[in-house]
Amino acid sequence: MDGTEQSTIFGISSTAFVIFYFAIILGGACIAAFNDKRAPFMLLFGLTLVSIVMGIVGGADMLRSVAIGAFLLAFAAMLSYGFREFLVNIVSTEMAKELRTAPLTAGFGMFVIFVYAVAAIFAPFIAPYGQAEVISSAFAPADENMLLGADQLGRDMFSRLIYGARNTVSLALVGTILAFMLGALAGLLAAVRGGWFDQAMGRTADVIMSIPSLIFGLLMVSIFGSLATNPAWLRMFNGNVGQADFALGVALMCFFGLLVGLLVLATVAESFVGWLISGAITAGVVLVFAMGISTIFNSSEVILILVVSIIYSPRVYRLTRAVAGNVVVMDYIEAARLRGERRWYLIRREILPNSTAPLVAEFGLEFCFVFLLISGLSFLGLGIQPPTADWGSMVKENATLISFGEITPLIPAAAIALLTVAVNFVVDWMLFRSSGLKEQ
Amino acid sequence: MPKEKSVLLEIKDLRIQGYSDETWVDIIKGVDLTLHRGEVMGLIGESGAGKSTIGAAAMGYARDGTRIVEGSSIEFDGMELTTATEADKRSLRGSRIAYVAQSAAASFNPAHKLIDQHTEAPLQYRIKKRMEAQEDAVDLYRRLRLPNPEEIGFRYPHQVSGGQLQRAMTAMAMSCRPDLIIFDEPTTALDVTTQIEVLAAIRDIVEQFDTAALYITHDLAVVAQMADTIKVLLKGNEVEQAPTDEMLKNPKEDYTKSLWAVRSFESPQRYRKEGATPLISVQNVDASYTGGEKVLDDVSFDIHEGMTVAVVGESGSGKSTTARVITGLLPPSSGQVLFKGEPLPPSYKQRTREQLRQSQMIYQMADTALNPKVKIHEIIGRPASFYSGLKGAALKNRVDELLDLIELEPAQYYNRYPPELSGGQKQRIGIARALAAEPTFIVCDEVTSALDQLVAEGILRLLDRLQNELNLAYMFITHDLATVRAISDEVVVMQQGKVIEQGPKDDMFTPPHHPYTDLLLSSVPEMDPNWLTTLLEERGVDNVGDAASAKIEPKDEKVK
Repeated sequence: MDGTEQSTIFGISSTAFVIFYFAIILGGACIAAFNDKRAPFMLLFGLTLVSIVMGIVGGADMLRSVAIGAFLLAFAAMLSYGFREFLVNIVSTEMAKELRTAPLTAGFGMFVIFVYAVAAIFAPFIAPYGQAEVISSAFAPADENMLLGADQLGRDMFSRLIYGARNTVSLALVGTILAFMLGALAGLLAAVRGGWFDQAMGRTADVIMSIPSLIFGLLMVSIFGSLATNPAWLRMFNGNVGQADFALGVALMCFFGLLVGLLVLATVAESFVGWLISGAITAGVVLVFAMGISTIFNSSEVILILVVSIIYSPRVYRLTRAVAGNVVVMDYIEAARLRGERRWYLIRREILPNSTAPLVAEFGLEFCFVFLLISGLSFLGLGIQPPTADWGSMVKENATLISFGEITPLIPAAAIALLTVAVNFVVDWMLFRSSGLKEQ
Repeated sequence: MPKEKSVLLEIKDLRIQGYSDETWVDIIKGVDLTLHRGEVMGLIGESGAGKSTIGAAAMGYARDGTRIVEGSSIEFDGMELTTATEADKRSLRGSRIAYVAQSAAASFNPAHKLIDQHTEAPLQYRIKKRMEAQEDAVDLYRRLRLPNPEEIGFRYPHQVSGGQLQRAMTAMAMSCRPDLIIFDEPTTALDVTTQIEVLAAIRDIVEQFDTAALYITHDLAVVAQMADTIKVLLKGNEVEQAPTDEMLKNPKEDYTKSLWAVRSFESPQRYRKEGATPLISVQNVDASYTGGEKVLDDVSFDIHEGMTVAVVGESGSGKSTTARVITGLLPPSSGQVLFKGEPLPPSYKQRTREQLRQSQMIYQMADTALNPKVKIHEIIGRPASFYSGLKGAALKNRVDELLDLIELEPAQYYNRYPPELSGGQKQRIGIARALAAEPTFIVCDEVTSALDQLVAEGILRLLDRLQNELNLAYMFITHDLATVRAISDEVVVMQQGKVIEQGPKDDMFTPPHHPYTDLLLSSVPEMDPNWLTTLLEERGVDNVGDAASAKIEPKDEKVK
């Protein structure tokens, strides 16, 4: 190793760097202490102490890492602060008041979610290459054309990362929304109706929850996944693979729609004629919805969405049932019942407004779990099918690089981790608000 | 009478701020307070006056979200609490300053026996050994006249009645023989008959050990029995302070006079029209909750158009259950409810919209009776649009009309949410919601018991005015006999699910009474400071509360 090159940090000699570094943080700490600014002083002086210890242990190079780390943290904090203030200025006054209570972590989370959303929506414009486009040799290192190098087939890693945001996140989002439609509706209805209905719903949820989710997922995906290529099924569509695939998606979606539809009917309809009319309307809505979803996703993705939503709906059910159960015993619900209000009004106007906060928070949490489950299934090769880019399978495909000391496979993993952390930051803030802890 | 003794607690220029809407707001605005050893001071005022906040501050404690402003001074026996360390303050609490909370049921840990909680403080401070502390506890239980003093400490809180629990809590506060006890509304949650035994017990034990006390309450008659001096508070300011006798005889400030004058309202008595069909007729109703014992036993009474029937009794006497039967929330197991001579279906689910419209309900807790996430105009407007199909401008006019009726400015309240209103305003919204359906009959379930006296007075006057204007019939459930006297035309007295006496108000308030009615009537505290002493002399110390009601023979013939 070359001694002269080693001793240069940020373009100056390492001695000068150490002196500058300590002068800046100690000076900052003293100024903060002199002006009675407690928090900045503790922060800067704490950093000084850490730096001294690290400096003794690891020398000037370690100090450089500490300085970069501190700078990155400060940068993230400033970004979060700026983004939060930006949001405060563009939303309505009522929202702004709430947003001002958000801690910096929540600001950071919102910023990350915003960046992911932009990446997902504008993926074709941001990504320099297509997700399935082979542009160089396998595992090619990063160069001026490829920001992060190439994967095992020579596709651009960066482009696939951007498309991955679109595929993985949209699947997780739709899956979570469907899980909420099923679980929340069942929970609200169980709380309002009580009695045998409540019992039946609760026991069904118990049964689903008692099956380990990943095993259940593997089972369902491998059973229905093979159906799309089943010869008997294909024969029905005269061998037209595209049509067969679409029809399978619609059929499965309709099955799920049947479950949700029955719950909707049980809520809305209160007479025989009511059952008939709302039944017809619901059936129409379900069919259109199923065809819409099947146009966007292919049958294997539809299966994935449904599996995920059925696995996660019992959790949503339990939470909704508990939250709504606390609201249902209130006097204003009794007043509404004595007025002769229908169940749908009770749920929509009286119960839902009082349970949105915990439900929204739960939505964020479930989204993370669903996201991880989909990534996990993809990693096992059962989720999103190649060549569609997906973070979970990208980790698997590039895993061999780890043994050569390359961090490439860790980048999609980091993308998963970052989104999970960001969503949890935002959810933490929402939970904090809904728990009413700020008053105590 | 202030006792000539050394000063125990001296609070000077106490200012406490609370954090709300991102700024600090003054809650207590400079209150001075001097308490001598062995003196009992009553703190009275409406809710929000800062009584409890001062009580907590006397222990050097500020609740989360509040802070004691610099410059305030709280000196307890020579020790400055505003600057004392947390450890020093903690060593005072429990040993030298004790606290008795409003709800003993919520303040005892349900997982431990009473005596273990009682002996915790003496053991913690190493004042007594466990066995000594237990003997002392039994001794205190005996002095507080708890039944089975040797055994009661070994029960869990849920195995003991409310009044006994409150006395056990007072005993616990006494366990280290503190110099100062803070009583924060100790009897507010209790029935009148139970209240007496707790009051008598507290008064005796405070006298026996010469303990100083701050007695916080909003009930003037109660404070008159307990306190040597009374301090009146209003919105964090002191109004006036004087020895009890003087304060009762000639209050100086207008606000204090208005507090004293509250109990003057009385609506003129109305009588039944001869031969008219009753609006609501409850006939031989039995009812029980699923699988339980009979809660109502052969209950019958009539409510006539435009009249108020007050249903009185202790908690557990079946007042609210009767209301649930009438509204259809609890179908009776036998008997029926007639509306204008026609039987009503037993469950509200089978009643027609028109039948539901005719009878409305006003609740005790306005907080839980109004949906906090729905705007006022929708809360009031919904029944109007639901029953009469009003829409758009017609609906808005109707809501404005209703807000006018309950004496709230429409423009100001139209778009607000319930949590932004005060307790009295919320109760008025509850009334407006009931009126929006244009009913002929309203059930009022303890509508004033959660409110301060001045506010409650306003609500009673409003209800009375509405009754005259709209010819409404009320079923007024209450345990407060002053309210009964103020508003009712007829009275139904209930005990253990049975109607034991009923008749016009004038008859009910003139002796002779049924013994239970007599007990209820004589248990209502009066403003006379010697009332409790006289009552105890008349009845004997062991003949109050649970003991007294147990002695009444259920088969006793009506004195009439």
